[in-house]
Amino acid sequence: MIEAITALGSVFFDPYLLFLIFATTIIGIVIGVLPGLGATTGAALLLPFTLTMSPVHAIAVLATIYVSATFAGSITAILINTPGTSAAAATTFDGFPLAQRGQAGRALGIAVMSSTFGGVASVIVLCFAAPLLARVAYEFRPPEYFALTIFGLSMLASISAGGAVKNLIGGVFGVWLSTIGAERVTAIERFMFGNYELYEGLGFVPVMIGLFAMSELLVQSKIANQAVEFVKMKAVQLPSREDYKKIWKTVLRSSGIGTFIGILPAEGATVASMIGYSEAKRWSKNKEEFGKGSIEGIAGAEAANNAATGGAMVPTMVLGIPGSGTTAIILVGLMVHGLRPGPYLFTEQVYSVYQIFGSMLAANIMFLLMGLYAARLFARISLIPISLLWPIVFALSVIGAYALNSSLLDIWIVLIFGVIGFFARRFGFAVAPIAVGLILGKMVEVNLQNSLKIFHGEWWQIFTQPLAVFFLILAFLGLCGPAIFAWIVKDRKA
Amino acid sequence: MSIKSQIPTIFLTLISLVIIYLALQLKLSPPMIVGDSMQPRAFPIFLMVLNLILTAILAIQIYRNPPKEPAPILRITWLTMVLMVLFYALTVSIDMFVGISVVMFLMSLVWGQRNILVALANAILTPFFVFLLFDMVLRIRFPRGLITNWYYG
Repeated sequence: MIEAITALGSVFFDPYLLFLIFATTIIGIVIGVLPGLGATTGAALLLPFTLTMSPVHAIAVLATIYVSATFAGSITAILINTPGTSAAAATTFDGFPLAQRGQAGRALGIAVMSSTFGGVASVIVLCFAAPLLARVAYEFRPPEYFALTIFGLSMLASISAGGAVKNLIGGVFGVWLSTIGAERVTAIERFMFGNYELYEGLGFVPVMIGLFAMSELLVQSKIANQAVEFVKMKAVQLPSREDYKKIWKTVLRSSGIGTFIGILPAEGATVASMIGYSEAKRWSKNKEEFGKGSIEGIAGAEAANNAATGGAMVPTMVLGIPGSGTTAIILVGLMVHGLRPGPYLFTEQVYSVYQIFGSMLAANIMFLLMGLYAARLFARISLIPISLLWPIVFALSVIGAYALNSSLLDIWIVLIFGVIGFFARRFGFAVAPIAVGLILGKMVEVNLQNSLKIFHGEWWQIFTQPLAVFFLILAFLGLCGPAIFAWIVKDRKA
Repeated sequence: MSIKSQIPTIFLTLISLVIIYLALQLKLSPPMIVGDSMQPRAFPIFLMVLNLILTAILAIQIYRNPPKEPAPILRITWLTMVLMVLFYALTVSIDMFVGISVVMFLMSLVWGQRNILVALANAILTPFFVFLLFDMVLRIRFPRGLITNWYYG
């Protein structure tokens, strides 16, 4: 405990780390305000830049991008009715109408304060929940891990974009991608087509950059010549006492919702903000204001989406199961830097883990200050013509992908997965399930193989393990629960 | 229902079948190595069978409730894809940074940038600074080419 508190506090006395968090917060806010460039794309682009950093600094950078870009999406959601990130989509419902009424500063003030509260609350939960969950996870053996990864993959069905079946197809395709390369036990080459650079498998980083950044570039080409309406604003206003009285319950509720949603594998800030918004409306005494500039609506969405960032780090670090697209990249960052995600992280690297948590706390404080004093300036960045911005993203993507292994093959992978991602999205498939599937794929296969060895080839013995059965039931409910529920409701009505 | 709306399912079915075929071509490992575990081909085949089942469900969903046909892909998007291929060709034949600069410049123009000087400045300065950052700070060696040969000596 003392070590954890010391590590948390040490962040605030490490000038280099603070400088990194400060600089990354600026980059994160810039990324967040640029429509199309969300936290996931930003983290994918920045990952190669962290290669020479220490593991803690590298993960702190990625986590800061996650936190600050998630908040910054609200700036453009309020000022130009275009959410900088998908997580800020719910903020447009009331943020932009309030800005149109000449209260853009007030809307941003509410968004900044709610986001900060949500973010800080979720990091506090993270600090307590993660070690507790890690203690449970120590007991996990291959059958439990296998069932857990199946549960993680089943949760892909409920990712916001795309339908359940499409998301599952994406997830299965991602798991198949993880089988490319030499098989772990027998060293038999699978789907390599004689290319020995694929011996260790497909690189996570180029696939992520391709799926998220390059495919987004192709999607953005459709809106290359669109103009945006910009609402003018004098300065960001801190919420008044009346505002606080009106929103405090909403902020508390949404922080709880956001943290919980974030903890669920494969759910993320977008789902959290939508639920946070709808719950704010459900519990509000002024429902008629929603959609016309309700400050409760802004607070509900913003507290929830930033709270999801801390929550999503729990399964990522404790179980090695990413809670969202961005945490999938953070997970890759952990692996690239030699930190083994899982419960042992909390015994082998306690100090580093809490420094990362402390960095997230510092990032929340940094974006509070920047949101209050520089939001107007950042908002202007969103007016950079995309005909200049996206070629820069292209350059960063290909150079970043090359940098990790100095391999031209990785550039090919970026380009190919950019095109795959583009066509997938065109037909309504989300790309995040492919990424999550790729990351979890090895875990699924290896734990299934190990389980088979433990049970001498009798796979059904997995169902004799209580924890494994628990996760498999959860997976079943995640997949079939909505359909069963709908059927019961329909049956009762009939 | 038009056949066009089933394009994704047809494509997914073909891909799954091709992967199953390729998996069946994989070598079998001796039982003493595999032990109680499974052959390397088993897992990919299982995945693709699962994908075929999911694709069949998707096909029924599309049949019952056909989705709106996506808007045709714009010329600008096709051109961007062509530029990506051009980038790779320039990288392997001339120089990576020549490839990046040329593609950045052309992409800016294709995406509607009217000011050629601005597009040119962006195309030259961005790769230049990114190169310096990666070379000096991150110590990454880039592939040899026209410019990198001159720089590395």
